[in-house]
Amino acid sequence: MDYSYFCGKRLAAVMAVCLSFPTAALAAQETDVLRVQQSNQQQIHSMKQRLLELESRLKTAETSPPILATAPAAANRSGIQIGLSGLFASGVSSVDNNALEGLQGGAHDPKQNGFTVQNVELSISSTVDAYLDAQANIIFQIDADGETVVELEEAFFITRSLPWGLQIKGGQYFTEFGRQNKKHPHTWAFVDQPVVLSRFFGGDGLRSQGLRVSWLMPTDWYSELNVGLQNPKGETVTSFLNAPGEEVGGHTLINRDARNLGDMLHTARWLNGFDVSDTVSVNLGVSGLWGPNASGTTTDTTIVGADLYLKWQPATTQRGFPFVSWHTELLTRRYEAADSGDPRGETLKDRGLFSQALWGFKPGWVAGLRWEYATANGDTAADPQRDTRKRLSPNLSWYPSEYSKLRLQYNRDWTQHLSGKTADTLWLQMEFNIGSHAAHIF
Amino acid sequence: MNNIMKKSTMNIVFGLLLSTIAFNSYAEIRIVTSTQDLAAIATAVGGEQVKVQSLTLGTRDPHFASAKPSMIRKVFRADLLLVVGAGMEIGWLPPLLQSARNARVQPANSGYLDLSRVVPLLGKSSGPVSRAMGDVHAGGNPHYWLDPRNGKRMAQAIATRLGELDPAHKDDYQQRFKAFAQTLDRKLLVWQAELAWLKGTSVIAYHTSFVYLADAFGFQIVDEVEPKPGISPSAASLSALVSRLRVEDINLLIMEPYYERRSARYLNEQTAIQVAVLPQSVGAQPDINHYFDLFDAIVAALNIAAQDKAAQDKAAQDKAGGQ
Repeated sequence: MDYSYFCGKRLAAVMAVCLSFPTAALAAQETDVLRVQQSNQQQIHSMKQRLLELESRLKTAETSPPILATAPAAANRSGIQIGLSGLFASGVSSVDNNALEGLQGGAHDPKQNGFTVQNVELSISSTVDAYLDAQANIIFQIDADGETVVELEEAFFITRSLPWGLQIKGGQYFTEFGRQNKKHPHTWAFVDQPVVLSRFFGGDGLRSQGLRVSWLMPTDWYSELNVGLQNPKGETVTSFLNAPGEEVGGHTLINRDARNLGDMLHTARWLNGFDVSDTVSVNLGVSGLWGPNASGTTTDTTIVGADLYLKWQPATTQRGFPFVSWHTELLTRRYEAADSGDPRGETLKDRGLFSQALWGFKPGWVAGLRWEYATANGDTAADPQRDTRKRLSPNLSWYPSEYSKLRLQYNRDWTQHLSGKTADTLWLQMEFNIGSHAAHIF
Repeated sequence: MNNIMKKSTMNIVFGLLLSTIAFNSYAEIRIVTSTQDLAAIATAVGGEQVKVQSLTLGTRDPHFASAKPSMIRKVFRADLLLVVGAGMEIGWLPPLLQSARNARVQPANSGYLDLSRVVPLLGKSSGPVSRAMGDVHAGGNPHYWLDPRNGKRMAQAIATRLGELDPAHKDDYQQRFKAFAQTLDRKLLVWQAELAWLKGTSVIAYHTSFVYLADAFGFQIVDEVEPKPGISPSAASLSALVSRLRVEDINLLIMEPYYERRSARYLNEQTAIQVAVLPQSVGAQPDINHYFDLFDAIVAALNIAAQDKAAQDKAAQDKAGGQ
């Protein structure tokens, strides 16, 4: 399946895919140009019909208000939850927009002086039946050129009641690697994505199509094991079969496909949770990824990570405040660059960490501090993706209610690739949530 | 090398999966509750046939529990999940239920009991609800356990459900419920007698959480310190409240222990209103272990507040008289 159909760059393209996905998927496999044209015509024809149908439905709805009036009640009965969150930022930096692009590696990071629409996310979820839950997250974004970008960020089903503590999730989803990767931008504790995650997983975080099995083990403490297989190809799995022509450590990527099960992206995570006392809880996790990379025909990538999360809450709290939390992740990547016979063949070793502490000091107010470090082997000083970087980010967030947020963050960057070596940036972020009550996972 | 690693990892994983042991051999019914109030009632009704665990502490605001992995573990092993419902746990229970992957306790199954369904809820919204109104629970106010008469309804529903899940001990559950109801009826008369002075008076509360207590003991809550439910008071909203307290006959402010005390102190300084900090849940104070303890403690706190007020008024009168 061609990945580009999942991640269209234009609203129209994605809408076309949404409306006629089966036809589009078929078309992708056709080599005969004529047939593609025919199927395109069919597509256009079916879209026209669909439009007419929708128009006529709209007219009936307009002429019969009772149907409209009962619509919300019907939606409630089916248990469907729809939410929209918007995330906006503005900022000023000591460096220009070009340099900011290199510093802010996340696709949803603000990366220009002035205003940024970081992320507008439409989330739809519901219980399907007694056996399944399902969820889809669609992202709208306005890029630095002012163009609207639409992404099917996630769309997956998840089982509700398998025996023996098992749970299966399938579709397009964020890989359960560490704690931060699967968090959506509006739930981040900082304005931007950690540097090491941008480097290893790309700007959008690690997500792809696949299937994973999770097992809640019959231990006395919380212990969950996740194993899965995901497609290794596309621009959301950058350390694996990223788009041809992209570069990793000076090696231009080739067009390589997954040929068998061994060529898939293998994912694993083991998460443990303990209550030290009524007021302190600890989560400890290790995660691993194995898969092919596109710098050669037989090259592989391994990424291993460890994560720690500690939270303290006194026995008496108001609206969940006060609290102190500490979240640290450590990642290393081993990237076989170019085939072993190739004179340019080498093994790229990258590593990085981020450590962030949050202090909710009074209801609605959270102060945060994040420290980051990332480095790699070899002569990497000129490469924004592999040079030695440090970043310190203090921030202050105010939540007027559970549904909105204002955040001020200062970033101090130390780099090797910038001519001035350091950069200072101030970001102001605003978030709103409307629709279904957004529940937060631990 | 990497392939071998992959294969051996997968082998270990599937080996572990196959070696899953059956752990559903239990003697007692495992009940998990969202709050300690429900846990206390379930313990009273379930006796030695049940093992009860609460997901949250009575010292914390139950709207804002932070979901922890240990909670998932508890729900995963539960045979019966008791929830307050009416939107109380909406911020944290749904993802917990999904992660817990326990079919028995999913809503609509016999292991899930929403107790807001068995009590008459107050404060249901009749008009449209907007979030500009604050944390309004459109389906009704969820603090219903603060009416002892609802405690009886909850106990009966729990006893009935336990009898369905464990028919062998159905009579035990019914007997314990009857004993619980009798004690409650007897104690309710005592509490009502002790709070007779409160009947018909006007009171303000910090949050909209004492409407059921007011209903049970016949007093009126005429205003809240929070300008809107869940919205912290501002200087402007407090001064508006001060103006109201100066002209109206309102002498008591009741509030939960977990809210900030500064606003209450300010109101007390400005208007001499008496502040009573009432435990809102079992477990809110170390000595509140049973459902009855909760009302014993509330009644005691209200009576102490009344005595303090009387003493202050007397001192003020004496002072005025002496001049």
